[in-house]
Amino acid sequence: MSGGPAIAVREVRKRYVDGTRRLDAVADVSLEVPAGELWVLRGPSGSGKTTLLGLMGAMVAPSSGRVEIGGDDVTHLRDHHRTRLRRERIGFVFQELQLVSRMTVLENVLLPLVPSGGARPEDRARARELLERFGLKAQIDARSERLSGGQRQRAAIARALIRAPQVLLLDEPTAHLDTDNANEVVDLLCELRDEGSTIVAATHDPRLAEDARVDRVITMRDGAVVDG
Amino acid sequence: MRRQLALLDYAVGALRRRRGKSVALAGGLAFVVGLFSASLLLTDAIRHEYELLADRMPDLTVQRLVAGRPALIPESAATELEDIPTVRRVRPRVWGYYFFTALESNVTIVGFDGDAEALDVAVANGRLPREGNEVAIGEGLSDLMGLRVGDEMGVPVGGEVIFSRVVGTFGAESAIRSADLIVARPDHARRMLGVADGWATDLAVDLTTQDEAPVVITRVGERLEGARVLDRRLLRRTYELTFDTRGGLMALMLVPALAAFLLLAFERLSGLGDAERREIGVLKAVGWATSDVLIARMWESAVIAVVGASAGLVLAYAYVFWLDAPGLSDALLGWSNLRPALDLAPALDPTQALSLIGAVVVPFVAVSVVPAWRAAMVDPDSAMRGTR
Repeated sequence: MSGGPAIAVREVRKRYVDGTRRLDAVADVSLEVPAGELWVLRGPSGSGKTTLLGLMGAMVAPSSGRVEIGGDDVTHLRDHHRTRLRRERIGFVFQELQLVSRMTVLENVLLPLVPSGGARPEDRARARELLERFGLKAQIDARSERLSGGQRQRAAIARALIRAPQVLLLDEPTAHLDTDNANEVVDLLCELRDEGSTIVAATHDPRLAEDARVDRVITMRDGAVVDG
Repeated sequence: MRRQLALLDYAVGALRRRRGKSVALAGGLAFVVGLFSASLLLTDAIRHEYELLADRMPDLTVQRLVAGRPALIPESAATELEDIPTVRRVRPRVWGYYFFTALESNVTIVGFDGDAEALDVAVANGRLPREGNEVAIGEGLSDLMGLRVGDEMGVPVGGEVIFSRVVGTFGAESAIRSADLIVARPDHARRMLGVADGWATDLAVDLTTQDEAPVVITRVGERLEGARVLDRRLLRRTYELTFDTRGGLMALMLVPALAAFLLLAFERLSGLGDAERREIGVLKAVGWATSDVLIARMWESAVIAVVGASAGLVLAYAYVFWLDAPGLSDALLGWSNLRPALDLAPALDPTQALSLIGAVVVPFVAVSVVPAWRAAMVDPDSAMRGTR
């Protein structure tokens, strides 16, 4: 990665067309996220946070504009190249898609490695190390549905980090968590940032958005950046 | 290779997680394959029995027809055929059926003139008859009638009871041949069958070369008026055609069942439950490509198909060779009561078994491609939002 921003979106627009109706989920947004910072996208439901997160992670193709990750233009990558990019350079944690039920926590963490031939001994060691670090040592072999909300979120973060990605993107990482669990997740994100990870989290939770340790908060409304 | 093994491992885990659906599909497949396999196995086993039987027949069998029906033939007719070129030997044979009231069934009584090679049965206990009223009986008959070596049995013939002493029991490679057999010295067989001296049931003709059979048949017709000659090779071919046709018809009747099951499987595989949809969403979100999801789903189908088809084959084997195919054997054999019971010799052609499994696995995996592809096409944006 060069010395430039870890993620850059330039005049990016994402337009959805439903019959004759057009909706700009993200409208002409430009941002540069420097490497090693923790950013928060905040705003009410429908403000375009999650779509912008998807654009930053090459998960959603923009209708116009340009997206760069680590200095590479990924705007027009073909689907399989975008998949590889996501797999190798980006870690995702989603609110609605956390762990696969009836799989153990360890199996869930190793899931991203299956398409490249499965987990090697060193991968398993890393997964255990991450889970221990995130306070899930006792739950390593537990089935995922037996975990609390906070534990699930931490396990999902561990999974996102299994490939040591350059960028970590999270959607509502503290939603539905009680204060203790939410604080644990925020602490964890700050720790990861301090170790050099670039992190962007979309949230409407003030416990994360208003934490003093966050480097920058971007406020969105109706697909546009209104503050930050 | 490593990638495929990892995806297969994941697929097996996914099947375990969706145990109910997996078992239902594999069970349905096992049932349909079981029906198909049972039909094939039974047809093959019966055809094999008849082929063994045909192989042990004389090259030509000469019968005398009276009013269009087989009648006794004078033993002297044998001498009229012996000098036909390529005829190696002519043997008058005494054999026939005796109806056992207690069994409500016919048994076959064969006169044995000491030529063990021509009789071609394997003695399991005791020996073959040498004199007087000695008989040897098939093991099936022995079990059914409760007779052992040394026992006596009496059969009523023309107002008198003729006693026989069992000196041996035998099995045979061909169950059809030995199941209902009683072997006796020719004189004793005549008494039990009511065949007068000087007469035989038919003439067994052995040739130096079977290729000359058509010529010899013509000569026999010229020398013996009213003779019917059965050619072993033609009989063998007839058996093959008969059971190929019956087996084919059975298989044809089962095609709609297989088609219905594949349609059902397609419907079942098409519908993704919430848990499956979420799982695919997670996979896409953590960096699985569409092709990875597609391959994993196809591995799931392949595992179900192989397990279901193999289970069906094993069930069919047990049904045919251990349970004697109740129901199906009547349809294929063409008679409803065979006593003693026919125990078919277990036979399984590995090539046919593999072909059958392939014939089921390929279409099953094929019908799962579209649902798998649809499942794999969850776009990451939808996956990210937890919607579809």
